[in-house]
Formats: sequence, C-alpha cells, structure tokens
Amino acid sequence: MGVLDYLRGFRVTFDKLFEERVTTEYPEEKSPKPDRLHGRHVLNRYEDGMEKCIGCELCAGVCPAKCIYVRGQDNPLDEPVSPGERFGYIYEINYLRCIHCDLCVEACPTQAITETKLFEFSFTNRSDAIYTKDELLVGDDGLPQNLPWEDWRPGEDVATSAWMRATSPAGDADYVGTVGWSGELGYGVRAPEVGQFGEDPEPPAAEVDPVDEGGHH
Amino acid sequence: MTDTADTAEGIAITVNGQAVEARTGELLIDACERNGVYIPRFCYHPRMTPVGMCRMCLVEVDTGRGAALQPSCMLTCAPDMVVETESDLTKKAQDGVLEFLLINHPLDCPICDKGGECPLQDQTMAYGPGESRFVEEKRHYEKPIPINDNVYLDRERCILCDRCTRFAKEVAGDPLIHFQGRGNGTEVNTFPDEPFASYFSGNTVQICPVGALTAKPYRFKARPWDLEEVESTATIDSVGSRIVIQSSRNKVLRYLGVDSDAVNWGWLGDRERFSFEALNSELRLTEPLIASGEGHRVTTWSAALGAAADAIAKTPASRVAAIGGARLTNEAQYVWAKLLKDVIGTDHVDAQLGDGLPADLVLGLPRATIADACRPGGTIVLCGPDPKESLGALYLRLRHAVIEDGATLIELTPRSTGLSALAAHTLHPRPGELGALARALVAGTTDDVAGVSGAAIGAAHQAIAAGGPVTVLLGRASAAESAAVVAEAAAALSNIDDVGFLSTLTRGNVHGALDMGLAPGLLPGRQRLGAGIPRGWTSVPSETGLDSTGILTAAVAGEVDALILLGADPLRDFPDRHLAEQAFDAVDTVVAVDTLPTDSVAAADIVLAAAATTEVAGTFTNLEGRLSALAQKVTPPGTARPDWIIAAELALALGGDLAIQSLDDVWTELAAMSPVHAAIDPAAAAERDGVLVTGTIDYTPVEQGELPAKDAYALRLVSVRAMYDQGSSLAASPSSAGLHREPVLALHAADFEKLGVSAGDEVSVTSARGGVTLAVQSDPGVPRGSAVMVSHLGGPDPYDLIDTTTLVTEVLVERA
Ligand code: SF4
Ligand code: SF4
Ligand code: SF4
Ligand code: FES
Repeated sequence: MGVLDYLRGFRVTFDKLFEERVTTEYPEEKSPKPDRLHGRHVLNRYEDGMEKCIGCELCAGVCPAKCIYVRGQDNPLDEPVSPGERFGYIYEINYLRCIHCDLCVEACPTQAITETKLFEFSFTNRSDAIYTKDELLVGDDGLPQNLPWEDWRPGEDVATSAWMRATSPAGDADYVGTVGWSGELGYGVRAPEVGQFGEDPEPPAAEVDPVDEGGHH
Repeated sequence: MTDTADTAEGIAITVNGQAVEARTGELLIDACERNGVYIPRFCYHPRMTPVGMCRMCLVEVDTGRGAALQPSCMLTCAPDMVVETESDLTKKAQDGVLEFLLINHPLDCPICDKGGECPLQDQTMAYGPGESRFVEEKRHYEKPIPINDNVYLDRERCILCDRCTRFAKEVAGDPLIHFQGRGNGTEVNTFPDEPFASYFSGNTVQICPVGALTAKPYRFKARPWDLEEVESTATIDSVGSRIVIQSSRNKVLRYLGVDSDAVNWGWLGDRERFSFEALNSELRLTEPLIASGEGHRVTTWSAALGAAADAIAKTPASRVAAIGGARLTNEAQYVWAKLLKDVIGTDHVDAQLGDGLPADLVLGLPRATIADACRPGGTIVLCGPDPKESLGALYLRLRHAVIEDGATLIELTPRSTGLSALAAHTLHPRPGELGALARALVAGTTDDVAGVSGAAIGAAHQAIAAGGPVTVLLGRASAAESAAVVAEAAAALSNIDDVGFLSTLTRGNVHGALDMGLAPGLLPGRQRLGAGIPRGWTSVPSETGLDSTGILTAAVAGEVDALILLGADPLRDFPDRHLAEQAFDAVDTVVAVDTLPTDSVAAADIVLAAAATTEVAGTFTNLEGRLSALAQKVTPPGTARPDWIIAAELALALGGDLAIQSLDDVWTELAAMSPVHAAIDPAAAAERDGVLVTGTIDYTPVEQGELPAKDAYALRLVSVRAMYDQGSSLAASPSSAGLHREPVLALHAADFEKLGVSAGDEVSVTSARGGVTLAVQSDPGVPRGSAVMVSHLGGPDPYDLIDTTTLVTEVLVERA
C-alpha cells in the first residue's frame, strides 16, 4: 500500500468536487413542487364570497386519520353563510394527525375542501396544529391565508384547487375536459387541465384575474 | 309481527328454491324476513296496516297460475306459494321502482339529516340503478316547512309512502297530516293554519323512510356516522319505553324508540323523545352548593357532604325525613333506602309527592301487565289519570287494543280523557264519590250514583258482568281528590272476577321506589317494616313513618328538622303548595339531591349535584313491575355524581358503612334480602323486554271516611296533569318549553248560569288555601258541579288551591 493507493481511495470525492451540486439551501431555497402535491387544506368560496362548505361531514366521515371535526348548523336566512339550508359551523383539521391522503377532497360534494402545496408544518404548540375554519377559509382575494407560522413562497398560493380541476366527475374518462365544477372566488369557473391525454392548453382562462400571480408576496 | 301469534299450524312455501314454513295469516314480506330473506320496502311497517303504496317490495310469486310480480307486503302466505325475491324480473322491478322514486327526489343527501341512515339511499345502493336517465327539471316545493313546533316537512323529499299519514290516523289518532293534490302534484301536508298538533309527532320522523320529516331538536346536530348508541329505557314517565340513546362527543343528541313487544312497540311520546334536551341544559347543576347569604356558593364535595352529615347527625332520626326518589335508578333507590332506614333510622320516607297512591294499592292488589290490559276482547276500566296526557306510549297501546283488538273501555274518571271517544262507557263521578260509583258499578245498581245516571252504570255493569278478563288502570286522576277515594274504589273493583290492576302512577321510576322501600312502612323487596331486620342490614326503624303530606304537615308543626329531597321539588310539584312553603320555612336544614335548579333547590341549604338518567347505569322498574336496563351513555357534567354514590358517601360521612362498593354489591344484597328479587338475574333485565318482578304484599282495604256535605255554592276541584307543563325538566328542554296550554278553568256549561259567568270571563277561584284568577271555559267533558284545572306547575295553578289533608277541595268561583 503506497501513498497512491491512499489517494485513489479519494477518487470519488475529488470527482464530485467538480460536478454540479444538487443540494439546495433549504429552507431559504426550495425546489419546485409538483402540481398535485398534497399539502395543507383550504376551504373555498364561491365567486360571490359564499362558503362552499355545507357542513355535511362527509370529509370527516371518510378521513382515515379521523382528524376532521365538522358540525353543521341551520343557515341564517337573513345572512346566509353558504347557499342552501345548512352551513359548516365548526370546521377543524388536526395537522398532527392528517396524512394528506386527500380522501376528504374526493368526498366533498361541493369542492369546498381542497389542498394547497404547503406541507411544511412546524408548530410551537398543539393548538396551532388544529386549523380552524377561520384559518382554513380563503381570504377575500380567494387566496389561502398566510398564517404567521407558515412559509409560503411566491406562486404557491395560487391554483390551490388544481387537483380538483384536473379530475373529471365520477372519474369517468368520457368526461375528461367537461366542466363539472363551480366557480371560485377570485378565479370564476376555471378551465380544465388536459392532463395526460394531450398538450396543456393556454393557461387557464379565468373570468376574473387572480389578484396577482405572486399572491401575498 | 304484531297480529300473528305463534300458531302451531305452518304453511309450506318456497322462497328462492328453499322450503320455508310461514305462519297462518303471515304476510309474505314478514315470512321471508323471519327466514333470512330481506325484501326491500318503504311503506310497509310491521306495526301499521299494509297499504301497498310504494311497490318496492314487489317479488315474483307463483300461486299456481303462473309467476307474476306482487307486492309482498299485501300478500298473505298461502300453501305452496313459490316466491322469487332475486329473479331477473324482481330485480328489474326493484330497479324501476327506485328510478321512479328518484325522478322527483332531490339529491340533497349531503345536507339531509337522514343521509347516512336513509332507507332510500341504502336501497338505491343495493337494488337501484347506477345512473339516472332523468335530465329534466325536478319538482320543487318550498324547502322545509315547520308542521309543528318540533317537526319540519320537506315535501320535495317525500316519496308518498303513507307512513306518517297512516301513523297519525291509525296509531296516534291525530289525523292532521294528509295527502293533498293528485298525480305529480300529490304532496303530504297539514291543513292550512292547522299544525300537526300531536303528542306523538316525533314518531313520524323516525319512521319516514326518507328525510322528508326531520326533527328540529336534532336538525343538523350530527350525521349518523358520528353517533354512538346504546339501548336503554326512557325514564321520564313510568311506562319505561325502550329507547336507544345516541350521542356524539359525550353529548346525547337523540332518542329513538325501540320496538319492545311488551312495552312501547317502538313508539314514543314527544315528551319522552325530546326529554334528553334537559340533560344537556346549561342550567344543569354541576357542582355541590351550599347556602351563602341570599343564594348559594360552589363548594367541595367533602364540605357539602360534611355539612349534610352534621345536620343529620345532630337530629334525632324521627326528625329526619326524605321526599322523592322516583328519578333514581333501582340501585340508587336501594342504597338511599338503606341509608335512610338503616344508617339514619327514619321511616319518614316517601317517593311520591302527595299525588300518588299508597304502596298497598300498587303492591297489594293482583297486578296486570300492559299486554294483559290490551288483551283482545278484554275489558279495561280506566280509573286514573288520562293516559294520553301522562303516559303517552301506554295511550297508544290502549288505543290499539280498543280499535283493533276489540277491547271494551270503561272510564271512571273525573272528566273526559284522550280515550273518551273510544270508551264504550264513560262515567264521570263527582269528586270524592268514585268509591260509591265503583261499588255501584260492581253491584250493578240502577240508581243514580255520584252524579252518574243509573242507566249508564247498569250498561257498564253489563260489560263487566259479561265475564272475561278485566284490567283496572289504577292511579290518581286528580290531585285535588285524596288517595283514600281511589283506595275505596280499588277495594270495590277488586271484587270483580278475573280482575288485574295496572298501576298508572306516572312519575319516572316510582314503581322501582316502591319496590326498593322508598315509602313509609316498607323495606326493599316488597316487604313490610316489622318483618325483622333484613339480611345485610343492622337495624330498621321501629315505627311506621309518614308519607309526603304527613312529613310536610309534621314539618309545619315543628317536628322535622332535616329534610332530604331526592330529585323532588315540593315547592312547585306538591299539590298543596301552601303546605310545602310553610314546611320549608319551618325546617332547619334542607338537603337537595338534584340535577336541575328547581324552586326547592333554590330554597335548599345544601345542594348535591346528581348525575342524570343517561349518565348512570342501572335498572328501571316500570308500571307493570318490569325491570329493564338503563345504560350509561355519557359522563355527568362537572363533578355531579350518581345518586347511589352520594348515598354511600353520605353514609361514610355519618360514620356508617353501607358495605356497597358497586352496583353488583346492590344486587348481591338484594338477592339475599328481597324475596321478590331473589330469583331475578339482573342480566335478564338487559333483554329488550326486561323481566317482570312478581310478588305482592298483603292487602287490607281501607275506607275513605265521611265525605263532607257539599256547599251549595261551591264546586269541587279536579286537578289534572297535562303532557306539557312548566316543570323544571320540561322548562330546560327548548323543544318542550312553552308547549303547555293556556291555563283555564273548565266547567260544564250548565254551571255557568248558576255562577253568573260566561265563557271567556276572568274568574277568581278561591279555596280555603288560596285563590287564583284565570279565564273560564265551557267543556262538555266536565261533569256538573266540578271545576277542572290543569296543573302546569306555573301560572294560575290548582296547586295553590288544594288542601291535601282533606278528601276533596271545594272552590268558589266568582267573576273577577
Ligand atoms: S387528507 Fe386524508 S388524513 Fe388529511 S384530513 Fe383529508 S382525509 Fe383526513
Ligand atoms: S368540506 Fe365538503 S365534505 Fe367537508 S363538510 Fe364541507 S361540504 Fe361536506
Ligand atoms: S313524509 Fe315521509 S313518511 Fe310521510 S309520506 Fe312522505 S316519505 Fe312517507
Ligand atoms: S312495502 Fe310493499 S308496497 Fe311498499
């Protein structure tokens, strides 16, 4: 064993020194996220600002982690919260339990609940981990709220219901591309994504422009 | 299920290729279900007449003339029927029926209270088409319209099955909802401006196979998958209807009726159904309280129990008394009885509030069950409170017996009742003269007695003399008439051949209280004081004690220093309110064990917060003496404790030891000391129909004594109870509070002229005890010379007038 053998042992190390680096300075720098990443939820509103959630508890019923707590109530006639008789009065998701399976999103009959791409949770106490309805609801601009402990990056808080738009009603391939969903605050009725079957169309033609591409930032 | 008794004779039919034995007269749908083949259905309900409205139960039947589709709910089994419930033809029919039903059915399952437990949802999943071909606009109606205070109707969802309308007409006898319109425009609705005012409306919500009828107290409270449930017994009245208690997040949200063949057949009165609301009330007592200044302050259990023990320990046993206990479970009643009669040593113990009957009448006379009373072709003598107002589920059974099973009803009541329209003979004696009328009825006199014509008495006598079983429903129809009057009548009626008595004492578990010795002169297990010291006890009181009226009278005379209230509210609920108020002033220490802040709790020195009915396990004894299980579903609020634990702790604070650590210990002791419970397996009480506790005590008839001559200007007061009053538990239930009727004085029209009043006038009613002012109304159901008031436990109330120490209360009525 000579000195050369010793250096040969470092060959991989030396090679790597001159290659392009793949690590990023997380969390200052973050890699782009896939479109359908399952992150923290939002509760959507209709174009007129009414809440989509009707408090039906289907999401709570289907959730395998049993982390959703919903209670409905009679809609006040003079100041309805959602269209129809019933609205979601209490809505809570416990992020210490949620496994981001999106079964709640599939179960929801009104597309009230969808997921954003924010997945990095860090809380300093347990009650922060329980998101309440006030925290989950989109703001007046139709964008998810930026809670003090959340780290949103530019562009991440738009298209938070992309998953829903890509899915055809009843999962039937015949309906791919058919609009079977309602409009949203800030977006109107969004056009479908073509997904796997063709080229992506022009960026979704929104009736109302999202406030600005960068959201809160 | 109901009308088809087990008959030896079977009918051989073939169902899906299997040989099956049907019973004579059995409907095909029932025969199949009994043999494990479920046929889907919407309109068929085993407790109501089949109508064949929905066609969901179509099956292929061959009776020898070739196979054809027939509704199995309308078809009685016949020999050699060949039935196919899963053939292609049957499936096509089911698919088609569902597609039709869904044409106009709005798909608002996500907001519908029935969603998740809906027969239409379930059967569409199991038998229906996967997709709709209907693209046109559906029929629309105004979304839910309230049809009474507690029920909403959503006509869009209705599938016109006729269950609710049949229930209202056939079962409840309140035909206030009907089909209206024709064809596509057919809808269920009430008459304009006339609500579905029925004491039983909640049942329609339970049997509606869709979410067309929903209950306001449960509206949007939870979804079926949130609910946990347990079978239990309703304790608000003494029928002991079987229920399931459903809760979510430790809160009771709903009671549903359970079909117990022996008791309630699945039905509940609305008061029973919605009574759980009081348990969730903000008003519930959650901590022990102790008097401080004008009100109370919260204290610890050890301080409260210590203060109660001090007050009791420094008082001689003969100056300690206890009233109440009908709210408690049997087990808690036993522990309290042992505490009071063994450790403390007083016999001044009464679970009834001066509006009941002496224990001898309930436990001494031969007892009958509800089924005995409702026997086809039997005779029922109603000699007690109006079952419709007081014992809702029993009323429905009696109604069925008279209408469907040919029972003969004879009423011996001070005024007309909810059953009067069905009664073969209605005899309204003058207050105080019930005994004389009963004697005349049994003897067959043809003279006028007690204000009743001889002809009417003779006709009713014929019905009794015709033979066959007779059941007397015995209770206190009027709190203004002494129990001695009822005792005299019972003595006369006990001479009828083949007679049985069904007690109609109304308060919750009052029959359990009698069985557990919460009555003067009694020990647990239907034993009299004086039979020696029971096993497991160290002493018994040496003298027979006083009943509630006696206790309060003694208190006024300064002979009671410590008064214990077991869920009793004498200040509001005792018929002689004047006496109760004076007694409270005279007693040194009042200890109240209760769940809600009643008037008496407000006046108590020490308040011990108790767990309510859904918060404790145990057993309940109904008016037949039937033991059935109570299940704990939720935990008590705050630090409220089960009554039996309060008794055990109080015993310890008094330096005694009851040697009872658990409910099992209670049963071990009962088995050893009670002749009537020895043979009973408490596990049998957990069965749906429970188990009857049999055995009577010796019975000696007593005479009521001389009735004072009637003042020519006076009327005799009749004080009855109504389904809804302003008592503390109904007042704490939002859906029942406010349902009590306006207080009125009801008189026979013939008395108006004599008094110089006319209908609607405000009159003042005065007795030796006090006076009230209210409107007067003419009522043909009131006999001449009587003045009827309903005790609402609030407002102008007969309890302000009654003198419980007399046989009858006379009142003077004048224009105010
Ligand atoms: S994503 Fe899955 S685990 Fe999370 S709330 Fe939805 S259903 Fe529950
Ligand atoms: S989010 Fe959707 S599924 Fe959940 S309660 Fe609201 S409407 Fe129902
Ligand atoms: S309201 Fe319900 S119970 Fe009544 S007819 Fe309609 S579906 Fe039947
Ligand atoms: S269940 Fe037989 S027709 Fe409705």
